[in-house]
Amino acid sequence: MKINLNYSKYLVISFCIFLSIFFVNNINSAEGGPCKDYGECDEFKYSLNDIESLQRGASTYINYCYGCHSLKYSRWNRVAKDLQIPEDIFFENLVFDKSIKPGDLMVGAMSEESVNWFGVAPPDLTLVSRYKGDDWIYSYLRAYYEDSSKQYGVNNLVYPGTAMPNVLLSLQGNQRLICKDIPVIARNGGEKRDESGNPIYQEKCGFLEVEDDTGKLSKEEFDNLIYDLTNFLVYVGEPIKATRERIGWYVVFYFLIFTALSSLLYREYHKDYNK
Amino acid sequence: MSEMAGKLFSWVNSRLPIANTFERHLSKHPVPSKVNFWYLFGALAAVTLIIQIVSGIWLIMPYSNTEEQAFSSIEYIMRDVDYGWVIRYIHTTGASLFFAVVYLHMFRGLLYGSYQKPKELVWIFGCTIYLAMMAEGFLGYVLPYGQMSYWGAQVIISLFGAIPYIGESLELWVRGDYYISGITVSRFFALHVVALPLVLIALVFLHLVALHEVGAGNPEGVDIEEYLDDDGVPLDSVPFFPYKVLNALVAIGVFMTVFSIIMFFFPEGGGYFIEMANFQEANPLVTPEHIAPVWYYAPFYTMLRAIPDPLGGLIVMAAAVAIFFIVPWLDRSKVASIRYKGIYSKIALTMFGVSFLTLGYLGTVGVTEIRKTMSVICTVIYFSYFLLMPIYTKYEITKEVPKRL
Repeated sequence: MKINLNYSKYLVISFCIFLSIFFVNNINSAEGGPCKDYGECDEFKYSLNDIESLQRGASTYINYCYGCHSLKYSRWNRVAKDLQIPEDIFFENLVFDKSIKPGDLMVGAMSEESVNWFGVAPPDLTLVSRYKGDDWIYSYLRAYYEDSSKQYGVNNLVYPGTAMPNVLLSLQGNQRLICKDIPVIARNGGEKRDESGNPIYQEKCGFLEVEDDTGKLSKEEFDNLIYDLTNFLVYVGEPIKATRERIGWYVVFYFLIFTALSSLLYREYHKDYNK
Repeated sequence: MSEMAGKLFSWVNSRLPIANTFERHLSKHPVPSKVNFWYLFGALAAVTLIIQIVSGIWLIMPYSNTEEQAFSSIEYIMRDVDYGWVIRYIHTTGASLFFAVVYLHMFRGLLYGSYQKPKELVWIFGCTIYLAMMAEGFLGYVLPYGQMSYWGAQVIISLFGAIPYIGESLELWVRGDYYISGITVSRFFALHVVALPLVLIALVFLHLVALHEVGAGNPEGVDIEEYLDDDGVPLDSVPFFPYKVLNALVAIGVFMTVFSIIMFFFPEGGGYFIEMANFQEANPLVTPEHIAPVWYYAPFYTMLRAIPDPLGGLIVMAAAVAIFFIVPWLDRSKVASIRYKGIYSKIALTMFGVSFLTLGYLGTVGVTEIRKTMSVICTVIYFSYFLLMPIYTKYEITKEVPKRL
């Protein structure tokens, strides 16, 4: 196989130009991120093998969210089975409507009137982790703040003007937008100081802070609760995800072996031909 | 028993040319002895087509082509059908990789002049396959009836409306309704699963028959038919079986490894293979923030957006695909391969490749002023590659092509 060095050189140069165009282009793009006023979304790393987290998330969902938000593509017994909750315990503790059968879809408990309450019907959330992303959910549920101008007294940095009240307010406590004095950062990356060596402060706003002793949970406990809830939504968005990632290794391994063996066979035949 | 089988075979063979066809097109078919990896994408495209057809058949079984159930039947496949998720992800991953492989296959053609005499028809059938694939991909993308299915279809179907005089009635005729509805979904379903696959299979058949008539090319652009042995077999050739088959088998191994990595670990392909907005059911009342096509249409979508006038955009976009058909007559070079072509051809092909990739990138992101300018520049480069080809291929200094591989 002869390689044309000249042409490869052109290709390399052109790809450098191509990459630099991307770079320039990305600097100039002025699109807001998905988390809007919140800035960068907080990173969320799901752990679908942490069954206990999923169980806690499911329990939070059914107690606080399911009243309004259905999971209409998911079935009750599938959730029980995947989350390793014995069906009798699951139905006794988490299914409040006793007419529901194990194989039913989780179509929700909301009446038609809901549109009048919130202005919009609460969306089904089965696939929310797939169209909004887990980072978004994790940030959104923790970005409520007090805003008396709104119908329910709260607003959200991730989703300004959201129609949903902060259902978890009693757990989280009263979160507010506050301003803080923060040290000014100089161009060299260090803190900027005045002539006598004291750091210079500047007031910046848009920080979230929970008022002390207004919620049942500490900040850390609340973050964990949202973690579990988001984890559950990732699960319910694609119940097969954990299995898929587990099986995937075997399939990839199989094709690697397949490639190795077929290339050995190919070489063997070519030795024969080129002798 | 074996005597019986032998008798049966010769009975059939005297009525149907099995042995002959098998020898001519498979076991003894001569292929150039020295080719590089670029020559493997044709085989991979064939493999992907088979993957798409087989997985498609299994998807039809649980899919429902009604407005009410199209979206939820996909979730039914993903959740309740045994291994339905495997079949669905095979089909979505396969669609993207089909285009990836075909784009590389087409680039190989431009790189080594695989369209030159006498391979014009092979090339034209290939271009037609690509055109049919674009239609097939678009129709299939509408079927899950998510937000992107709906709004993507809205954009594409409204293109017909830009055609003067007949535009509006044509739009209505394609859609089958005054807006995209269950009627549109079910007719797209029929076209996607019956009509276009038949067209594709027929075209692939013609592509291969024409190829086997004129013989496969090689990266040197040498005509291997010039030097034959006593049996009339080209000296610089190897039989298709086992050499080419084994070579393809290695390529298939690598390809399937990549395929399964994507399918099992990144089935959404970072939002490029399955767009995030398509996990929301189609909603005629809510327009998504960005309507972006899947990556494989993105270069043409950028050209459409680069032209402010809808009809002009449509013409440019159609011309961008149509121009491939006349490449055999645009190239006036004495040599086929880029290895022996002159500097202008090399620069032109590189610029073309870069502009195509840039157009692709621009099609997946929102519009800004600088991006708009860039898309116009890239569109101009794209067309210059083709339109200036008769000039730069004719007047550049080419190198001497060797006689043998």
